Parts: sequence; structure tokens; C-alpha cells
Amino acid sequence: MVEVALGTALAAIGAGLAVGFAGLGSGLGQGIAAAGSVGAVAEDEDMFARGIIFTALPETQAIYGFLIAILLMVFTIMANKALPASLGLVAIGAGAAIGFAGLGSGMGQGITASSAVGAVVENEDMFARGIIFTALPETQAIYGFLIAILLMVFGGILAG
Amino acid sequence: MVEDITSLVTGLGFPSIESFLAAVILVLAIFGAIVVIATIRPVLGMFPYTYPNARVRARIGRIFNEKQFQEIIEAGNIEEVKNYLRGFPDYAKYIDQYPLEKALDTQLAENYDLVARITPENSRDAFKFLLKKWDIKNIKSIIIAKEAGLTQEETMDLVVPFGDLSDKLDTLIDADNVTEVLSALEGTEYTPILEDALPTYQETGMLLPLEASLDKYLLENLLRTVSTPEDDNTAYLKNYVGNMVDGTNLKIILRAKVDGLKFEDIEPYMISDGYQIREWKLKDLMEAEDVAGVVSGLEGTDYASILAEAMATYSETGSIGAFETALDSKVDETAKKIALKNQFGIGPMIGFLSKKEKEIKNLKIIARGKREEGFTPAMIKEMLV
Repeated sequence: MVEVALGTALAAIGAGLAVGFAGLGSGLGQGIAAAGSVGAVAEDEDMFARGIIFTALPETQAIYGFLIAILLMVFTIMANKALPASLGLVAIGAGAAIGFAGLGSGMGQGITASSAVGAVVENEDMFARGIIFTALPETQAIYGFLIAILLMVFGGILAG
Repeated sequence: MVEDITSLVTGLGFPSIESFLAAVILVLAIFGAIVVIATIRPVLGMFPYTYPNARVRARIGRIFNEKQFQEIIEAGNIEEVKNYLRGFPDYAKYIDQYPLEKALDTQLAENYDLVARITPENSRDAFKFLLKKWDIKNIKSIIIAKEAGLTQEETMDLVVPFGDLSDKLDTLIDADNVTEVLSALEGTEYTPILEDALPTYQETGMLLPLEASLDKYLLENLLRTVSTPEDDNTAYLKNYVGNMVDGTNLKIILRAKVDGLKFEDIEPYMISDGYQIREWKLKDLMEAEDVAGVVSGLEGTDYASILAEAMATYSETGSIGAFETALDSKVDETAKKIALKNQFGIGPMIGFLSKKEKEIKNLKIIARGKREEGFTPAMIKEMLV
């Protein structure tokens, strides 16, 4: 059995939190947006492309979570380093930052996207405004992503 | 430093740093799970409505706007109205198949049917029951046609091919008179209701008891399907249905007062337990002397101000239409408010059905105006609801 240092194990939890919760938010958001888009396409086939765009928007949170998880793994587990416990806790903080921010942001974006799809299928002129409103809940995920990066940089994980 | 932390951790009763961290992680995991569940719960409530709402919002977008109504009103004759409607796929499929009024009703029934099929589980019973309005409309049309001596072809033009009775429609239309229609309905849920009203019909020859008992059956049971709301969505549905019931009760009472009918004459037609206007209040209103007495008896309810306004028009014209329009507007307003307040739930579906009803009502008014001589576009516009 491979011996894993406590800090490295904690970093693994951080990576799990990052991709797990961000993916949960993104998945729920995308599911809500997709359900709305399917309804719109059932009524108006021309809505397919626009429905795809709105459904794709809540994907970004999962991408942020995935990136943070990859970085955590590359600089800890995959680097075969015995990480101190304190750095492991920093990794959990980074993972939780993007994980929870992605969860809220993804769900919020999904609800807005679904509503925007409804607005566009009702009135085509709402497309641009729908995109703007749907993009707004992205900011919370960006905050989480930035804080996760800063924690990793200044916490010493990305310092090599 | 490390020793300090170790002594602190052992002082707290943990044998090692690892066990302390395990406990911290466990606490954080429980806290995280609570946060996740609390966040996800409201979203899961919205989830079942996203698909149906997108579909009805697409249809809301296709409801005629003011400019389109103006174009229809300005049509030279009924054929031009039909040609205009042929330009819209929702109507085109029925326009060439049926006479105009039947085509409009069929289009409306199709929308009710769609909503009943796609609505989430907790509101499906109510919308499915609402579909019975087409059965009831068909039975009423057939008995009226039989009483008026219309031919089978003429009767066929009055019925809408929707509802649970669509397989029985041919047999009902083939009946020679009202009593035969009632016999042909044997085995359906409408038999006991109509049997109760049959003696009055046979005594008086009036169809009103039969029609009123069917309306009562629909609304009373519709209210029953929403009587115990499970969540916000079903509570809004109850509010909408309740307003329909109250509006119907008030229309019956007002009409009875205009016709000079007494409490015992109208009591059988009332939906016993209203929504905002409960049984005892209904009794008070039924015992009022005249229309003014009914309106003043509504003091303290939402209906007081709207019916007081309509009272002025009634006093001028003597027509009960002003009250009926005011009560219909109240139901429309309720639907509009629900649609705005509950955008991620049942709101858009209720708002859509209300708007669609209004559109069809207006198209029928225009059709009637174009069919009869002497109605200018301005006069028709004035009649729209």
C-alpha cells in the first residue's frame, strides 16, 4: 500500500470539493436550463441553437472546479510530494472556495438561463438581454476561482 | 509551535493530530451537507416546471397582440378573418377543418389538453379535471341543439373534439331529444348529476337546471381537487380556481336578482362552499333584496370596489353585462398576478390559459361582428374584453 502524507490526503479532499460541488451546481443549473430549452424547442424548432447556448452557459462552473482540482492534483498528489498538513488545509480552502461558489453560481445561472430561454421563445428580441442576465451569476464563480488561485499561490502550493 | 498544537489537541481529548483533523473534517462535511441540501431544495421545487413553462411561454408569445387584433378587426368580412388566421399554424390546422367558432374552441381545448399533459404531478389532477369543461360544454351544446331542433350536421358543428366523451359524441348527437341524450350518457359520471335536474326540466321545459347542475359539478369538484395545497404552486392554483368559483356564484346571484328570483330558486345552482365568499356569506347575498343589496353586502371583500364600479354602468344601462365583465376581469387579474409572482412555478401556465381564453373570446366577438350586419371596426373594438 502506498503511503500518503496527511497534507497530501487533505489536498485530495480539496480537489474533490472543487470538482464535486462545482460540478453539482453546474449539473443542476445545466439540467434546469436544458429542461427549459427542450420545452422551447418542442414549440419552436428554431430555438435549438439558442437553447444550446443558454444550456452551455452553466458549464463554466464545472470547468473552474475541474481546473482547480487538476492544479491541486498536479502540484500535490501527482508531484509525489509529502505535503505538510497545513498546506493540505490550504488546499481544502481552495477547493471549498471554488466548490461552493460554483454550486451557487451554477444553480443561479441555470435558473436564469431557463427563464431567459422562456423569454426568448416568447419574444425573440430578448436574446441579447437574456444572455446578459444569464451571465451575471457567473461573477460568484469567478470570485471563487480567483480566491482558490490566490490561496494556492500565496499558500505555497503553486510555489513548487 | 508543533508541540503547542499537539498539547492543545491532546488537551481537547484527541489522541493525535490526525484524529483531531478527522473530527474537524467530519464536522465540516456535516455543515457542507446541510448547506447543500438547504440550497438545492428550493431549486428542486422549480425543476419540474421548467419544461412546461418554456412550452407555455412559447405559446404566450404567439398570442395576438393589440396590433394583430386591430388588423383582424379591420378585415372586410368573415372570410378575410379566416384568411388572416390561416397565416398562423396554431389556427390554420383547424380553420379549414371546422366552422370558425368550432375551430377557435378546438384550438383553446388543445391548449388546455397540452397544459394538463405537461403540468407536474402535484397540479395534474386539477388541470385534468379542468378538461371536463369540454365534456360539459359538449353536453350543453348537444342538449341545446336537441331542444332547438338542429340537425345532426348542425349539432356536430357545435361540439369540440376534446374531452373524455369524444368517443361518445356521435351517439349523443344521434339522439332524437334531450331525454335520449341523457340515456346515452348512462354509465358516465354525468348521469347522476343530470338525473337530479331532470324532473325540473321535465316540469318546466327549461334547460337551465341541466346546464347549471353541470357547471356546478365542474367547479365544485375542481375546487375540491385543489382544496389541500401541498406547496406554493398548488396554493396559487387554489387561489385561481377559488376566484373562478366566487365569480360564478356572484354571477348567478346577480342574474337571479335581476330576474327577481328568490333564495330557494337559486340555491340549488350555487357552489356551496366558495373561496373568499363562504357559505354563510353566499346565503346573506342570496337573501338580499336586489342587485344593490348584493353589491353592498360584499363590503369588506375584494369584490366590493369592482362591483361598485360596475354598479354605475348597470344603473345606466340596466344590463348585467357590466357585472359579468367586472367579475371576469377579476379572474384575469388574479391569473396575471399569479403569473408575475410565481414565474418559476405554476404562474406561467395559469397566466397562459387566462390569456388564451381572452384571445379566443375576442376572436369570437370579432367573428360575430363580421357575420352580422352593421358592425363597424370601431364598434367591434369597443366590444372586445
